[in-house]
Amino acid sequence: MEGETVNIRICDVRAVRREWSLAAQGIFYEGVHLVTGDVGSGKSTLALVLAGLFSPACGTVERHGIASQMMMFQSPEYHITGSTLDGECRSWGADTAGVLASAGLAGRNDEDPLRISRGELKRFILACVLSRPYDLLILDEPFSSLDCREKERLCRTLSSRPAGITILFTHEQAFFPRVDRIWEISSGKLWDRGRMPEALARWEHAPRMVKKLVEKGTIPANISHADLREAVCRM
Amino acid sequence: MILIQNLRYRTLAIGHLSIGPGMTTIIGPNGSGKTSLLRLLAGIAVPESGSVLIDGIPPRDTEIGWVNEFPDRNMLFGRVYDEITSPLRFRHMPDGQITERTESVMDALGIRSLRNRLVEELSGGEKVLVALAAALVVRPLILIIDEYDSHLDGNRTEEIGQLIRQNPIPSVIHCTQDMEAAARSDQVIFLQDGGVGHAGDPVQVFSSLKDTAFFPLSWRGKP
Repeated sequence: MEGETVNIRICDVRAVRREWSLAAQGIFYEGVHLVTGDVGSGKSTLALVLAGLFSPACGTVERHGIASQMMMFQSPEYHITGSTLDGECRSWGADTAGVLASAGLAGRNDEDPLRISRGELKRFILACVLSRPYDLLILDEPFSSLDCREKERLCRTLSSRPAGITILFTHEQAFFPRVDRIWEISSGKLWDRGRMPEALARWEHAPRMVKKLVEKGTIPANISHADLREAVCRM
Repeated sequence: MILIQNLRYRTLAIGHLSIGPGMTTIIGPNGSGKTSLLRLLAGIAVPESGSVLIDGIPPRDTEIGWVNEFPDRNMLFGRVYDEITSPLRFRHMPDGQITERTESVMDALGIRSLRNRLVEELSGGEKVLVALAAALVVRPLILIIDEYDSHLDGNRTEEIGQLIRQNPIPSVIHCTQDMEAAARSDQVIFLQDGGVGHAGDPVQVFSSLKDTAFFPLSWRGKP
């Protein structure tokens, strides 16, 4: 999909927070991008810069062909404006029954979003976010608080997004959608590790199992759970 | 030995469950009752009916260390040193002993450099370590940790996991969504629908979860 007109271009950006800074440069084309890095490396800051919610000290972020965008914050509480699940769905312009069924909360229309469990709230906000198509979808740690089954389900949903740019910021180690490109933040800089599967050999903070597979020369086709499972069985 | 009998609390219902010493990991879907069970074991919540006994004694009468999923939500003091010493000060322990225990636990966790830092300025991993220090400073019989790894990267989780395993506490009980970590435990409890689905050593429990997302990836392909 590279070369198409929908993209987000980071030009010599430097984001500064107190005594810490992050330098970034690169182009995110249509497809699924994984941005990894340790906690505190600057993933959330870069997500905010890409969403236009944090102004870099220098450099620019250019959007091309992006008419709609959404950023999901790490803390689902930040999205809540309604006092009931039904009210919250309506605030997103989403079909309540569909969203609640998708989040496994069918029939709980009148419950207060801030009184359901954190895992349930995460599922609920993810269902609201994913109820509409966006040209640019930015997800900051979407897997935190989800159980393994829900992580796998989310990966399937993200892998099947038909169009647009999906940028996933996460420190997750076991569950990923099929991705087109891997990026990494380390030592205050965004590194483009390249397209799959070549990116795997350059992925410094790769999960232990991915590193082991690469060391053994059993390169998975991608990093979805199914791809990794297949490679592990082949190893 | 922890013994749970005829327990009912909110959606949780457990007829009989015994938990031995060592590292016990509680796993299961969201809403299956993991945090509720940890809160009952810690004595933060009490059963609506039935009993939880630790060597025959209710949790509230036993020394227990507790680390919240969001550690800063349980912190009372602004400065790291004050936070770690607070459980001992609340017990009116003599100053000399407070200093000795606090220094010892900070050394064990490698956080001496944080002593004068403000809690609000710490990273996520540093907050977990401070919460662990405040839990360990009372020398608990049981350390209970609620999904501390959910908000940490793999490297930090591994470092902290090692520090926990090195500590001479008789029992550590934690819940996680990291099945590789669960597979390294002495005992695994899989909760589902408010009850115990499977309990036993990792081989026993995960052999029942082979066709699910809970099965550890590193175990795939094993005979």
